[in-house]
Amino acid sequence: MFGNDFDTTLRLMDQLRRQVDRAFDETERQGPLHRSTSYPPSNLYDTGTAFVIEAELPGLTDKDVEITLTQDVLGLSGQRQVDAPEGYSVHRQERAPFRFSRSYALPAKVDPERVGAVLRDGVLVITLEKAVEVKPRRIQVKAS
Amino acid sequence: MATKSNLRPSSQRLENVEERPTGTPRVDVYENEQELLLVCDLPGVTRDALGIHVDQDELVLEGRRSAGISATPLASEFRATDFRREFRLPRGIDREKIEAELKAGVLALHLPKAASLRPRRIEVKSG
Repeated sequence: MFGNDFDTTLRLMDQLRRQVDRAFDETERQGPLHRSTSYPPSNLYDTGTAFVIEAELPGLTDKDVEITLTQDVLGLSGQRQVDAPEGYSVHRQERAPFRFSRSYALPAKVDPERVGAVLRDGVLVITLEKAVEVKPRRIQVKAS
Repeated sequence: MATKSNLRPSSQRLENVEERPTGTPRVDVYENEQELLLVCDLPGVTRDALGIHVDQDELVLEGRRSAGISATPLASEFRATDFRREFRLPRGIDREKIEAELKAGVLALHLPKAASLRPRRIEVKSG
C-alpha cells in the first residue's frame, strides 16, 4: 500500500494541488480576452488563521465590485469600464473593458462573520478568518 | 560588411542593483486638439511610489508597488511586479504643463500640446 514516504508525500502534494485547482474555478466571463487565465488575476494566501485573496482590479472602486460568500465559496463579480474620453481620438488601446464573475472555493471552512474586504489603489484584498475548528491549535508537549 | 549600426553595443540599458521584478503596464493613448492623454494601469502604486521623468523627447513611467501580502501563498496567478515603460514623445509637447492624476491604481497623464502646434481657427469671411 502507501507505506513508502515518497508515495505519501507525493499523494499529499497532489491532494493539495487538486484542492487549490478547484479553488480557482472560473464560472463565467464575458468581454474581450486580454489574458488567457481567469479574470481578475488572483493570489491566494494562508496566514495560518485566515485565507487572503488578493486580486488586481485597476480602475475599480468598491461600488464596482460585488462580493458574496456562500458556505465556503467566495463569489467576486463586477465590471470594469474603460473611460475612453469624449472628444478624443484613439492612438492605442491596451486596456479593455469587461465583466467578470468568478468563484473561489476555499480550502477550509471560514467564519462568515469575520470577512473583510479592502479595495485600494486598484488592488482588492479579501481576508477570511478560518472557522474556529480548522484553525491550527498548539499542542503542548509535556516534559516527562 | 560592418556598418555603424552593427557596431553599437548590444545592451545600452543600465542594470538595477536590486532585483525587483518589473513588468510593463498597459497603456491607452488618446489625443484631442489640446493634448495627448496617456492612461496607464498601475495597480498597487501610490502617488509617492510613482515616478514620471521627461528628458528631451523620452518619457519614462515608473511605479513601485506597495509591499504585498506576507503569508504562505497557496496559489499565484500574478506576481506583484514594479512597473516601467518608456515612450518617445512627439515634438510639440509643452513639457512645463504636463499633469498627472493617479486614482484607484490608474494614472492619467496629460501632455498638452504647445500653443503653436494647436490647430488655429481660420475665420472665413463672407464676401
